[in-house]
Amino acid sequence: MTDELNVLAGAYALDALDDGEREVFEQHLRTCAECAQEVRGLREAAAELSQLSQVSPPPRLRSAVLGAVTHSRPLPPLADPVHGEAGEHGEHGEHGTVRPLRRARSQSLWQGLAAACALIAVAVSVWGYSEHRQAQRAASARSSVVQSLLDAPDVRATTTAMKQGEGTLIYSRKERRLVLIGRGMPPLPGNQTYQLWLMTETGAPISGGVFRPDQAGNVEVPASGNLDGVDQMGVSVEPAGGSAQPTPSTVQVLKL
Amino acid sequence: MTAMWFERSRSGNAHAPLAALTLEELLAAAARGDEQAFAELYDQTSPRVYGMVLRVARDPAQAAEVTQDIYLEVWRQSARFDAGKGGVLPWLLMIAHRRAVDRVRSAQSSMARDDRYALLHEERPYDSVSEQVQISLEAQRVRKVLDDLTPAQREAVTLAYFGGYTHTEVAQLLKVPLGTVKTRIRDGLIRMRDALGVMA
Repeated sequence: MTDELNVLAGAYALDALDDGEREVFEQHLRTCAECAQEVRGLREAAAELSQLSQVSPPPRLRSAVLGAVTHSRPLPPLADPVHGEAGEHGEHGEHGTVRPLRRARSQSLWQGLAAACALIAVAVSVWGYSEHRQAQRAASARSSVVQSLLDAPDVRATTTAMKQGEGTLIYSRKERRLVLIGRGMPPLPGNQTYQLWLMTETGAPISGGVFRPDQAGNVEVPASGNLDGVDQMGVSVEPAGGSAQPTPSTVQVLKL
Repeated sequence: MTAMWFERSRSGNAHAPLAALTLEELLAAAARGDEQAFAELYDQTSPRVYGMVLRVARDPAQAAEVTQDIYLEVWRQSARFDAGKGGVLPWLLMIAHRRAVDRVRSAQSSMARDDRYALLHEERPYDSVSEQVQISLEAQRVRKVLDDLTPAQREAVTLAYFGGYTHTEVAQLLKVPLGTVKTRIRDGLIRMRDALGVMA
């Protein structure tokens, strides 16, 4: 995070930047998950200010608004980040840390998904998971979790570059299952641990468990739960044993 | 190391009365073309949106016009709301505030700078906040949090939010360096965030 840019997070959340500054800052937000996270919190705080200015609108405004929408159709959802052509960059790209190269690769993965039997071999090489697997041959039983998940009809995957290393999320909303595959994650001292979080829209983040990568920085973390409406996971660094809530400054966001 | 998190039930069933649905559920229904759900969303959120726009634009006719544009945009964008980036209300208010400040900035761009400053010095944006307010417990809580900021932070935050000024303008108005204003705004908002316990 660049301190000079980071200090703009408050003014950005209040729409107090001029157009040029806003553009520069939004560019920065696409690559700085920490700033994006801070902006989100500050925006929510700013939104609370409107509690102080509540006024009931005139009744005719209601009919004008509802009259206007009958003549218009909601825009279709943005294309899925894995399957889609147009990503959700631009104004929606605050967390656009999914790298284009990976996206292209994952598309070819999904084309290959039809060939169910040969699947795991394809997936293993495409996801760059093979090194991890070779290093952990003895623990290969664990990847059966990934294999069974890849069989889910609505399986999706995204890869996000983290400050160090990267995280791939493979998940099925239908089957309510998810696996985080971390690669190149820096080792932590013995009194600290990584923790996975389901970032909910309304409430506090919900823990998906604590984990430690192996010496090569690789890890596979299965979790299960309701993913409806959930669009991102978080990885934080916590004291050993984990925390009830993530330590904000350490949270890295991984979009689903 | 399988981990479980709590299953959260979402009452998205079609038989639930609209008023019992969350804003997120109402917006999702609107995205599928449900105008009644959108009307409910409007009823639940419009005092927040209209009131804020009115405070920024200061003119009821303009505020109504901008508010109508805002809800039309919300309707159009409903399927593109991304719950991963925050709640429906902050999202809606973000769209609304951006539109409101765009309106006052373009409306005022022809006005001489000196006039704008004179106008603002006569006004006391923070004190005026207490007028017209529908006193709710939540509003009292936000008011308390705002009161707990340093006067300098409070002034910078309210000039930007309710005044619709850019941070450069706020610096000129307060006759302090821009860097100082940047810091006051950010520190003030961080204190508010922490005090209000919004999820970050």
